[in-house]
Amino acid sequence: MRFSIYRYDPESGAAPRMQDYELDAGFSGPMVLDALLALKERDDGLAFRRSCREGVCGSDGVNVNGRNVLACVTPLAGLRQPIEIRPLPHLPVVRDLIVDMDAFFRHYRAVKPYLINLEPEPENERLQSPEERARLDGLYECILCGACTTACPAFWWNPDRFLGPAALLQAWRFIADSRDQATAERLDFLEDPYRLFRCRGILNCVEVCPKGLNPAAAVGKIKALLVKRAF
Amino acid sequence: MTARASGARRGLGAWLAQRASALAMALLAPVFLAYAVAHAPLGYAGWRALFQPLAVRIGALLFVAALLIHAWTGLKEILIDYVHRLGLRLALHFLFGLAYAGCLVWAADILWGAA
Repeated sequence: MRFSIYRYDPESGAAPRMQDYELDAGFSGPMVLDALLALKERDDGLAFRRSCREGVCGSDGVNVNGRNVLACVTPLAGLRQPIEIRPLPHLPVVRDLIVDMDAFFRHYRAVKPYLINLEPEPENERLQSPEERARLDGLYECILCGACTTACPAFWWNPDRFLGPAALLQAWRFIADSRDQATAERLDFLEDPYRLFRCRGILNCVEVCPKGLNPAAAVGKIKALLVKRAF
Repeated sequence: MTARASGARRGLGAWLAQRASALAMALLAPVFLAYAVAHAPLGYAGWRALFQPLAVRIGALLFVAALLIHAWTGLKEILIDYVHRLGLRLALHFLFGLAYAGCLVWAADILWGAA
C-alpha cells in the first residue's frame, strides 16, 4: 500500500514536500489512522494529531486524496493509491499534518457556544419538552474537527472574518435552544456581510462533515430568522 | 472575546435583493417568452410591434433592472471575496456601479426611443 504524505518542519527551514511511504501486504488497516500509526513506528518524526481513534474527539482531521476526513473512521480500502495525505487546507501548518486551529476556535468562541439564561437557576434543571429537545438534533453532535470550515472557499478567502460553517452551526444550535435567552444578541452579532453572509450555500460543508451534519441548513435558518425579525 | 458584540447589521438586504431579483426574472422571462411565441413569426416590424404596448416596455425595463440588481449584488460578493485591497475594491464598486446605471438608462432609451 503506497502513501504520499505532506511533510513540513518549520524549524528545518526547508520547504514543504510530499514524502512517499509504503506499507507491506502484512499490514491490515482498516483505517487511515492505523496506517499513519504504522508509518510513525517506522519514522517517528511524522507528526499528526489523534486521540480517541473512533470519530468522537475530532482531532485527526486530515485531507485524504483531496477530501477532508477523520483519519480514524476513513477506511483504507477503496482509496486510490498512492494515498495522498495532507493537512486540512488553508490553515497555517504547525508541522506535517498538524494545523494551527486558532482561527477556527476563535470563531467558535465568538458565537458564545454556551447557554445564556439570566433567570435564577431552578432547583434541578431547566426542562425542555421532547419537541424542544428534538430541535437540537443534528446540531449538538458537532465534534469541531474543522473538516467543514477548511473545505469552505468563503472561509479560505476571508478566514479572519467569516465565521465558517462549524461556528455558524453552533450559533444556530444555541439560538434554537428553548432554554437560551440571547437570540436577539446572537442575531445582532451574526448580521454582518462577513460573519454570516459570506456563505453562498455551495454545500461543501454538508458534503464533507464526518458526522453527517448540515451547517448550510443552519445558516438558512439563521437567515430566515433575520428576515422574520426585519419584516 | 475580542470581536465586536454586534455585527455591521448589513448584508440581509443584499441577500434578499439577490433572491427577489432572481424571482422577478424567473416570473418575467417566461411571460415575455409566451407573449413573443404567441406573435410568431416575428420579423423586424413584428418584433418592434411587440414593444408598442406600455406594459411590455415597463415589464422589459423591470427585467433589465432585476438583472442589473442581481449582477450588482453578485459582483459585490465577488469583490469582497477576492479583492481585499480597499482602494481597488471601492474603485471597482464605483466603475461597475456607473456601468450598470448606464446600462439601465441605455435599456430605457432603447425601449422608449425606438418607438
